[in-house]
Amino acid sequence: MRIKLTSIMVEDQEKALRFYTQVFGFVKKLDIPVGGEYRWITVVSPEGHPDVELSLEPNANPVGRAFQEGLLKQGIPATAFEVDDVAREYERLKALGVVFTQQPTQQGPITLAVCADTCGNLIQLYQPPAAP
Amino acid sequence: MTKLTDVLTRLCRARDVLREVHDRTLTIEEVAREAAMSPFHFIRQFNAVFGETPHQARIRSRLERARLLLARGEQSVTEICMEVGFSSHGSFSTLFARRVGVSPSQYRRRARSMVTVPGTYASQLFPGCLSLMGAAFAILEKQQAVESVRVVACESS
Repeated sequence: MRIKLTSIMVEDQEKALRFYTQVFGFVKKLDIPVGGEYRWITVVSPEGHPDVELSLEPNANPVGRAFQEGLLKQGIPATAFEVDDVAREYERLKALGVVFTQQPTQQGPITLAVCADTCGNLIQLYQPPAAP
Repeated sequence: MTKLTDVLTRLCRARDVLREVHDRTLTIEEVAREAAMSPFHFIRQFNAVFGETPHQARIRSRLERARLLLARGEQSVTEICMEVGFSSHGSFSTLFARRVGVSPSQYRRRARSMVTVPGTYASQLFPGCLSLMGAAFAILEKQQAVESVRVVACESS
C-alpha cells in the first residue's frame, strides 16, 4: 500500500488548473476528459517527489461542496503544502494577488501561513523545522 | 491578525446572500454592505478569494441549483428557470447550454437515463470523492492501446 494520490475539491477545474500551475507552480501530469463537462486532472510538484499526484476534483457533488464550504467558513485549510521558505512564498504569492488569511506565523518549530486558492479552499503552507 | 479571518467570514456571508436571494434583484451595494466593504473593495476582494466576480458567482450558483433540480426531475424546465431566478426561459437555456454543454431539457433526459435509484444523483453528473478515477484510467488505457498500435505500425513499416 502506498500514498501516491491525494485530492482537493475545486469549484472550476479549468480555473483550478490555471491557478495550481501558474500561481502555485505545480506541473500538469494528467488531464483526461471523462465525458460531460468534467476532467480527471492531476498535478505534481517540480520540487517534490515526481510520483505523488494531487487530483483537482470537481466539487459538483452537493455533499462534497457542503464540506468544502463548511471548512472555508470556519477558516480551516483543506490541505497543506510544504515549502522551503514560508516568508519567501508569502511575498511571491502576495505579489501574484493571492489573499492570505494568516501571515507567516511561528508555531512551535514550524512556520505557517494560510492562503485562498481561488477554487473554494484555504491552503496551509508550512516550513518544517531545519534539519538538526 | 484577526482582521484577515474576519474578511474571509464576511466574504463567505456575502456569497451566501448572493446565492440565497432568488426572488429579487440585488444591487452590488447591498451585497457589499453585507461584507462591510465599499463596492469597489468588495468586488476586488471577492475575486481574489473566490476566483470570480460576485456576478459570476451568482450566475454559477443559479445554474448549479438548476442542474440539481433538473436531475431531480420533479418540475418543468420553465418552473426551474423561474425558481433559480431567471426571468426569461431563453436566457436561462442559452446560459445553461453554454456552461453545461447541453440544453436544460437534454440535461434532464440524460440525468433520468442515468439515475438507477430514485432520489439519488448520478455520480457521472455530480462527481466528487474520486468517482471519476475509474473512467479516466479506462480512457487512458484505451489511448495507450491506440498509441502502441501506432508504434508497432511505424516500426513494421
